[in-house]
Amino acid sequence: MMNIPCPFCGPRNEAEFAFGGPVKPRRPDPNATSDDEWADYLTQVPNPLGPVEERWWHVKGCGTWLSIWRDTRTHDIVEGPGNAD
Amino acid sequence: MTPVVKGSDPDMPYDARIDRLPIYALFDLKGPKEALAAWSKDTLEFPNGPSRLKRRGSAALCHIGPNRWLLRDDLQNEAALSETLRPQDAPAEISIVRVSDTQTFFRITGPDALEVMSIGCTLDLHATVFGPDAVSYTEFFGIKALVLRCEGGFECAVEQSFGNMIEDFLTRAMA
Ligand SMILES: [Zn+2]
Repeated sequence: MMNIPCPFCGPRNEAEFAFGGPVKPRRPDPNATSDDEWADYLTQVPNPLGPVEERWWHVKGCGTWLSIWRDTRTHDIVEGPGNAD
Repeated sequence: MTPVVKGSDPDMPYDARIDRLPIYALFDLKGPKEALAAWSKDTLEFPNGPSRLKRRGSAALCHIGPNRWLLRDDLQNEAALSETLRPQDAPAEISIVRVSDTQTFFRITGPDALEVMSIGCTLDLHATVFGPDAVSYTEFFGIKALVLRCEGGFECAVEQSFGNMIEDFLTRAMA
């Protein structure tokens, strides 16, 4: 079980949340990118061994959508790499 | 529901009482606090923070989410509240919806109220964490429920179609 920090409610049991999938990379400009890069953007889902940024919905709580960084090896909620996007 | 009371059966594991409550007047309020306050002509008294409620007379205004409040009052005040809040005329930036008949409330009181709540709810409801003005949507027996404190215990509300199921769960918990 994870204890997910909700910005409105504080830390809550994972069971109160619905998983929203990994955060996808930013949409490239279709006019400035190659076909390969565009196909990668459309079809590849981030699935690293290690920290991944994910969306979670506090559906049984306040209704907020939030992002966390979760380490896929340990389920630990970890610090993200910061605002380096 | 006949209230489930410990005194009626000495073998009951918990010293608590469960009541299924009559319908409350409920209004779901969405939008910026300032806009809601202005529209209600400052008749709403807002709580001072997330997951807090403010009581005034029989009414309680619960801060249940970002830009989201739930106003609860006795059913007899519903018409007067409708008149004040005028849901049908609300401006575009706010939303006011009467949801009185969508929620079923239960009251769990007595010395073991916290123990009974803990069967179905993972939230830390100890008084040092969940104080007299605390309110939150959380999970209760696996479904979304509003939980708040009342005199001598807790009240919780579930979507009304789950009312009979939760009544059954609570009765079994007390058996
Ligand atoms: Zn929340």
